[in-house]
Amino acid sequence: MPGLTSESDDLAMVPVSPESEKQPVVIYPLRHGLKSPIHRLSFSWACGNTLRVSVFQKPQSEKADGDGEAGGRVVEVKLSNSGDEEVDAARWRRMAYNSVTPFALLQSRKHSLSAASRMSLDIPPYKTEWWEHVIEYSKEISSLLSDRKPPPKSIIEDPKSVEIAAPMCLKAAWELLEIFYVDKQSQSWIPERLLDWLADYNSLFSGTLPTIHSKLVDFQQELVGVQVVEEDPNYWDAMSSALAVGWLETVVKLLRLHGSYRFDQLSSRETENGLVEAVAVLISKMPRMRPSLREDNLGECYKTKPDFMKAWEKWRTQISKLDCSSYWLQCDHRQTREGLKNLIQIMLGNPTVLSNATFNWMELFISHFLYIRPFTAGLESMHNSAQKCMQVKPVSISHKLFGLILGILGENTEVVLAECSRSFGPWMMAHAVELLTAGSTYAEILLHEEHSKLGGVSIEELHRLVYAQVLSSHALTWQIAPIYLTSCIKQGIGLLENLLYKQPVQHSQILLKSIEICRLYELDTINSNIMRIAGVHHWRHGRKGSGVFWLQQARDEFRLNRIAKQLFDFVGKSVSDEGFKQWEGLIELLGSESRTAGGLEFLNKYRDFRRSLLQVHGDTPTDTARNAAEALVSLMKNPSTPQRFWLPLLYDSLKLLMWQERPLVNVSQTQLLLNKLQELSMARLRPDFVEADLPSDALSSVRLALATNLGRAILEE
Amino acid sequence: MAVLTSSSQNLQVHRFPQESYIDSLRWLPQLSAFHRHIILAAFDSESSTSSLQILNSSNSSSNPPELTFQSSLTTPSRITSLTTSQNPNKPLIAASTFSGSLLLYTADLVNGSLEFVDSVDGKGFHLGRVNGIDVSENGSEFVSVGEDGRINWVSFVGGGLSTRKVFDSNGLVSYGAVKWASPVEFVSGGLGFGLQWWDQRRPGGPVSQFKANWTRGTTSGIVHSIDIHPSRKHTCLAGGSSGTVFAWDLRWQQQPIMLSGVGTSDLSILSPSESDVWEVQYDNYTTSSNYRNVSESRVLPAMICSEDGILAVIEQGEEPIELLAEPCAINSFDIDRQNPSDIVCSLEWESIAILTRS
Repeated sequence: MPGLTSESDDLAMVPVSPESEKQPVVIYPLRHGLKSPIHRLSFSWACGNTLRVSVFQKPQSEKADGDGEAGGRVVEVKLSNSGDEEVDAARWRRMAYNSVTPFALLQSRKHSLSAASRMSLDIPPYKTEWWEHVIEYSKEISSLLSDRKPPPKSIIEDPKSVEIAAPMCLKAAWELLEIFYVDKQSQSWIPERLLDWLADYNSLFSGTLPTIHSKLVDFQQELVGVQVVEEDPNYWDAMSSALAVGWLETVVKLLRLHGSYRFDQLSSRETENGLVEAVAVLISKMPRMRPSLREDNLGECYKTKPDFMKAWEKWRTQISKLDCSSYWLQCDHRQTREGLKNLIQIMLGNPTVLSNATFNWMELFISHFLYIRPFTAGLESMHNSAQKCMQVKPVSISHKLFGLILGILGENTEVVLAECSRSFGPWMMAHAVELLTAGSTYAEILLHEEHSKLGGVSIEELHRLVYAQVLSSHALTWQIAPIYLTSCIKQGIGLLENLLYKQPVQHSQILLKSIEICRLYELDTINSNIMRIAGVHHWRHGRKGSGVFWLQQARDEFRLNRIAKQLFDFVGKSVSDEGFKQWEGLIELLGSESRTAGGLEFLNKYRDFRRSLLQVHGDTPTDTARNAAEALVSLMKNPSTPQRFWLPLLYDSLKLLMWQERPLVNVSQTQLLLNKLQELSMARLRPDFVEADLPSDALSSVRLALATNLGRAILEE
Repeated sequence: MAVLTSSSQNLQVHRFPQESYIDSLRWLPQLSAFHRHIILAAFDSESSTSSLQILNSSNSSSNPPELTFQSSLTTPSRITSLTTSQNPNKPLIAASTFSGSLLLYTADLVNGSLEFVDSVDGKGFHLGRVNGIDVSENGSEFVSVGEDGRINWVSFVGGGLSTRKVFDSNGLVSYGAVKWASPVEFVSGGLGFGLQWWDQRRPGGPVSQFKANWTRGTTSGIVHSIDIHPSRKHTCLAGGSSGTVFAWDLRWQQQPIMLSGVGTSDLSILSPSESDVWEVQYDNYTTSSNYRNVSESRVLPAMICSEDGILAVIEQGEEPIELLAEPCAINSFDIDRQNPSDIVCSLEWESIAILTRS
């Protein structure tokens, strides 16, 4: 975590004032472990959001070299987010992981649907199917935004305090998009959905704005100490506020705390209690234009507008009747009378009372839906209503969700995009675009249109690319970036190539992951390039086996031939009889196929020859010796046997060439060997010839042996 | 956390998100029927630190299992491989690291704590990544193999570790996995689907080598994991690249028994995975009582986990039983030895899954 450095050995080179300004300075301590003074610093970007800092000390000529202290050090600093985000890093990664599957599923469905409909998703049967897929996607994403376990249920009466974890702005924003763009079935009851939305997320505004939620929370704490609630003005205020935004169950619960319900007072406050109960019943019978209620919610549902209107009129008549009732005169508890009258005014839609009961324009906006204009439909009228509410209750600090709501209500896709991008970041942009394009044809055109100033990509693709960049910058999420990159038609593959090339090949797990990604997306060229890079890396670091393996996998004949030369130098020196064990593994790896071994298959034959030669002693049967001789001839015949091995091979096989019993090499074979020897003598004249490390008479003794053998072989034949 | 029920077998899956990447994990020996411990090698990418963690897994038949964090110790380097001895009182935990060291810890299961015992590192041990490590049955002998081509034998005697070099190929080969076959024999595996059989009574090099001919012409691969069943010490089970799982029987050395893999021309093999098989273990669950009845020539059923997110049981000539199909890789798994119905596995997306078969 960034913080002020406290280590004594870390030297602050730039003075930092402890008072944080408007933009607090984030300090990352460098643990370079060098003694002061530091001579020079050099900065460069390492992988992702890691900064590489090279710290140099002044070269000290007077000091002896052997004091063991480093002259400099390279340290890497991971620049993390400054910490005011609502999602911490681990949770953010989980979100990133979990959104992969829904996203990938939606993309593949889009492909198969557009393949089926040939051109566009606008043809009705496909359109409906597409809607269902988008809704499913939206619900899944929404659910992963609240994966925390709900806390144990609160014992305090106020149900609004029972929150299921801390809701996130991100989820609130996602749900807004879902309500307005995706969920076609709820189009007719958008006001009610907004009401639910506000009930879920009102607490999000509490930090920056006065809200009903914070008021209720305050009152709830107060409630514990209050003896006679109905005499507390906050009790009535809390209820009118809760009623204004439609939290009916809260109001009814609070009403039932009224003192007149107490057993000992029931008889003396009968009329008063009757009025309280009448209001409670009216509240709980409020008609709602929605298919069903959420758990614990009150009201009566109506699915069609005519039914709802009829019920609404009836309900209002009942309220008016109660308002004019003569029982009020018999109620001598002033606070109760006034408080209940106030609640009735809210239900009758008195604008002043509603305005007093709410704290910001959003709450007022919802209360207007509920009590003044219950038949509002269409974004335009909602937008007008919102504008009016804002005039009544202007906000000094605009909340990011307000900006989004106004953009949506104003049917301004550009504003919605800008708000999403500004407030909710790349994750939101990459995933929410699907909702926007599904929701309006205009948005679809806007987002899918290719822009030349964006390098020919559409806005949709741009946001996916940006998100993929964010994923790429982290060691644990880079491997999900390909899923987003491959959904980008124009630039995706190019960036995926870059991403794969940037991965460190020395880490075998990352190497294998890169190869797996190449396999999945059929990136054969990149695959062999990565394997080639890995091969060269391992070879250079002395892991010859791994080097050869990866170059073989990459089918890189050129480099295999190059390293074969180096390897032969090595072999010539170290393949003594006992050291050969070491080579076994590598030779096994090489196999005997010339196709992928790049001349290295010579080693395989060479090994076989050495093995058979080792078995040959003075008293071995001739057949064994003959096998060894055959191996020798085939090695010498093989064009891939390096010239420098010819003489050592022949010299090692002197005992075969001078076999006592009978000649093991026939005339033509001997002639071949003599020819090779001749070729070798010619080659010795060339300046680049490397002399084998053999006794000086080696050549002449081989020549003599071959000549003798030729003579014997001719006689035999 | 989700519960999934498979049709072929009653299977319960519980997932537990973690806040760091899990390099490897193992069950620790069971202390009581209701409390078991899991040891994790975790890597925190934010701070670039790695640690060993002990988690307590409470398990009762009625409630879903719960995982609670018990203790953790920071390790000097990232862990590549974990192995545990089955001593129920104070099990030893050996870990091999990226930086070429071997770390030894003991776990106190009563308090759920970890204690550092000893470590081996330095130029004489391994240079670079140690890829594989295994502990002998008696819990005092370790063998480690590395990408540097070294094989080391480490003994735990008198409270400390002493090490001896078995072989050094000087980088001419790299090893990926190792497994004890007997107190003096072990099998190593690595590049080119190669396996090497080592016998300490015949030092100097591998006693026997295997390189399958079936890889010729097609893509070759790397052995990532080896297992040997205590009752069938002549057969070595190996898993690696391209979904390849095969058994190598010392008595029929030239021909491997193919269990899975896409690199083979034999189409009758139903391969559950197409990418790297990270771990193989014999699965004693289905045959725990009657594995002796399984014909000698048949390979015992084995469980694999793979890069493409598959956890499956494969059996020679049978269709594989898929236990999990995840959208991300399954890095590591372990079957509880005392309770083979229970499996724990680590998922690439920073979570753990516990599976219970019934």
